[in-house]
Amino acid sequence: MRFSANIVASLGLQLLFTAFSSQAQQVNDPQVLDDNLDFEPDFGFEEDLFATAFDEESSTTDSWLDDFTIRISQQFFGQVNNHSIEPIPGILFPREAEMENNRLGINIRYQNAFAPGWLLQASGQARYYWKDDYEYEANSDSIDAEYRVNEFFLQRSYGQESLKFGRQTVVWGETVGNSVLDVINHFEFRDLTIIDIEDARLNQWMVVWDHFGEGSNWSSFVNLYPEFNPAAVRGSPFFFEPAFNLTDYDRDSELLFEAGTQWRKSFELSDISFMAAYLYENQLRYEDPISGIGDAIAKGNDFLLLGFSANRAIGRLLLNFDLAFSHNVLADSFNFPGTALASPLDLRKDQIGTSFGFEYALDNEQSVSLGIQAQKLLDENEGLLPGQQLFNEGVFGSWLVRYSNTLLNSDLVLSSTLQGDLKGDSFLALLGIDYTINDNWSVSGQVISITSNRESPLVFFDADVRLGATISYSF
Amino acid sequence: MPQRFLVRATAILLGILIGFPLSSMAQDLSARDILEKMEDNQRAQSNSALTRMQLSTCKYGVRESRITCAERPRVKSLESVGKGYGVDLKDTKSVIVTLEPASERGIGMLSFAYDDPSRDNESWLYLSALGRVKRIASGSDDDETEPGSLFGSEFTTEDQETGKLDEYELNILESTSLDGREVWKIEQIPNEDRALKSRYARTVAYIDMERFVVLRMEMYDQYDREVKRMLGSRVELMNGIWVTRSLTMMNLVTNRLSNMAFLEMHTGIEVPDEFLTQRTLTDAAFRETELEKLRAQIQ
Repeated sequence: MRFSANIVASLGLQLLFTAFSSQAQQVNDPQVLDDNLDFEPDFGFEEDLFATAFDEESSTTDSWLDDFTIRISQQFFGQVNNHSIEPIPGILFPREAEMENNRLGINIRYQNAFAPGWLLQASGQARYYWKDDYEYEANSDSIDAEYRVNEFFLQRSYGQESLKFGRQTVVWGETVGNSVLDVINHFEFRDLTIIDIEDARLNQWMVVWDHFGEGSNWSSFVNLYPEFNPAAVRGSPFFFEPAFNLTDYDRDSELLFEAGTQWRKSFELSDISFMAAYLYENQLRYEDPISGIGDAIAKGNDFLLLGFSANRAIGRLLLNFDLAFSHNVLADSFNFPGTALASPLDLRKDQIGTSFGFEYALDNEQSVSLGIQAQKLLDENEGLLPGQQLFNEGVFGSWLVRYSNTLLNSDLVLSSTLQGDLKGDSFLALLGIDYTINDNWSVSGQVISITSNRESPLVFFDADVRLGATISYSF
Repeated sequence: MPQRFLVRATAILLGILIGFPLSSMAQDLSARDILEKMEDNQRAQSNSALTRMQLSTCKYGVRESRITCAERPRVKSLESVGKGYGVDLKDTKSVIVTLEPASERGIGMLSFAYDDPSRDNESWLYLSALGRVKRIASGSDDDETEPGSLFGSEFTTEDQETGKLDEYELNILESTSLDGREVWKIEQIPNEDRALKSRYARTVAYIDMERFVVLRMEMYDQYDREVKRMLGSRVELMNGIWVTRSLTMMNLVTNRLSNMAFLEMHTGIEVPDEFLTQRTLTDAAFRETELEKLRAQIQ
């Protein structure tokens, strides 16, 4: 399973070469055109190179295939830095360079407004894990495949109402990437190729009712089968062997549900919303089995959420603000498999959280954004016995900074993301490059560097450097 | 593509539809008179419009005195609906949806563009990956940024902007003919302030005297080198006005060209106010139903 770093490195270099050689062509002197030049007649009549566009207009026929959007992608990704980590003083673990992802993905999306006021939307994905992918190794060194339905809902819209039944997402937060209000759907950060919460969000079976009023909108949902964050996949970078087997929530005959409503209003240059919900924490809290052997006990963490969000545009600056008040939430919610297993406290408390930040367009090509998320348990010492300590004390949270620059008429996008926790225990830097070759083909490359001290679970990835490349075909 | 720029491009696109047709006959007009009439037409025609357009871009070459695409063109297909509001309908609300390419299909944007320069334009973007409508800070059309590419094409926001005539020195260079049509050659030279926001030191437009459409435009840099050339074709009478349905912009520096083809353009349709709201972005069932109603009006 030794990682062939040369492959990824050469892919990255080729990507950069392609991008910058194209850009270099832009510095030529202007071409002097003869006034008597004509357009190539093969492409249309003489004055019009693109006359075929109008021919298509008259022969346009709807095909059922038009409702499908398909993307096929091949991804290589791996840790390239040979080094050691020292999560416990004096105990060194080697971290060798190795391939983590070598996989083919097929994403299919279908959207069909099949009758007035009716819409069917579905999306799904297939993954094929090739040699050296961690899923390949977890599958006894043989090619593995995985299929998943993402969205699948039927929508009926009439008058000022809209009803959606099926598998879908509900997003409430304003702050992109790390909002305290984006907690309705559950998440799966399976590996380090997934940085954004938007990419990790999983759909749930729900009924969503939207009312579009004259000056404001209501959006309400009911979820009769709340799902929880899946445990880390064996072999993935986030997996480690727990002391007890981590199982899904044992529902028995218990009826779990989540429900919530949001009121939203737009003003000139600003939007605001208020929301209230009864929810289950997406992350299950695990406890030791009572007998000391067997599976860990998964405990649901239900709570009430009250929230407020707002944004304000000022010229090229957009300010975002989210506020969340969680009532009766388990103080020691499970944060990382294994770390809270020892003795989580069974205390319920109120929690206040906020996320805020800004997005600023430096010009038409460049933008920068900042997001900060901070949470704090209220009366955190109340109910603690002497010597007891909460896993999260004081203010805890994270920050995120992004910069992007678009070049070559938007064909090339360079971006960088810096991410860390508020206490300064861990830091992640990402450099990304996306190049659109044509309407179908695109390539992207990523470099991710992680730094962490022993106070953060990310210490297991300290000094890791990850390099990745993806080539995609869409149609 | 940065979101803010997408916003600006969307607002500009609506202007493109009506930025080139000129309907009135005019004699002995000054350069300013001619360009002001273009703006009057824009206001008259920007109200209640449904448009489908295609933007094609390719690297071009010259072979035996003929221009040809040297590669398979990149094609972007867009559908938009717009409506005028406010005093003299100078404010505009518009929705634009990307139909092609597949990788961008379904991306929708709602834009409110205000004529009053002291009011910032407003825009909301819907990305299915994001799962919600997101407000974009777009600023005003008059802010101090360099014009950028329009949806990745060789057209820029500046190429399609109208108005701001006070910021230019305008001259009729000559009356001549082009491809058998009588035209005015009108030169526009930006003043000092405008020059800071412009990529061109001057432009020369060839305007059809009878149909009042731009048949050709040349853009020059500060060394008086022609850096871009735009050609208009397929001039057709639509809804009582002459319209240039095909515009081709050649970038003489990068040797790339873009064609903007207005495949469908319908004005004077009844657009309900509810359509120009955030609901159109998130509620695809509503959007498609309302679009069918708009198309039914055309038929």
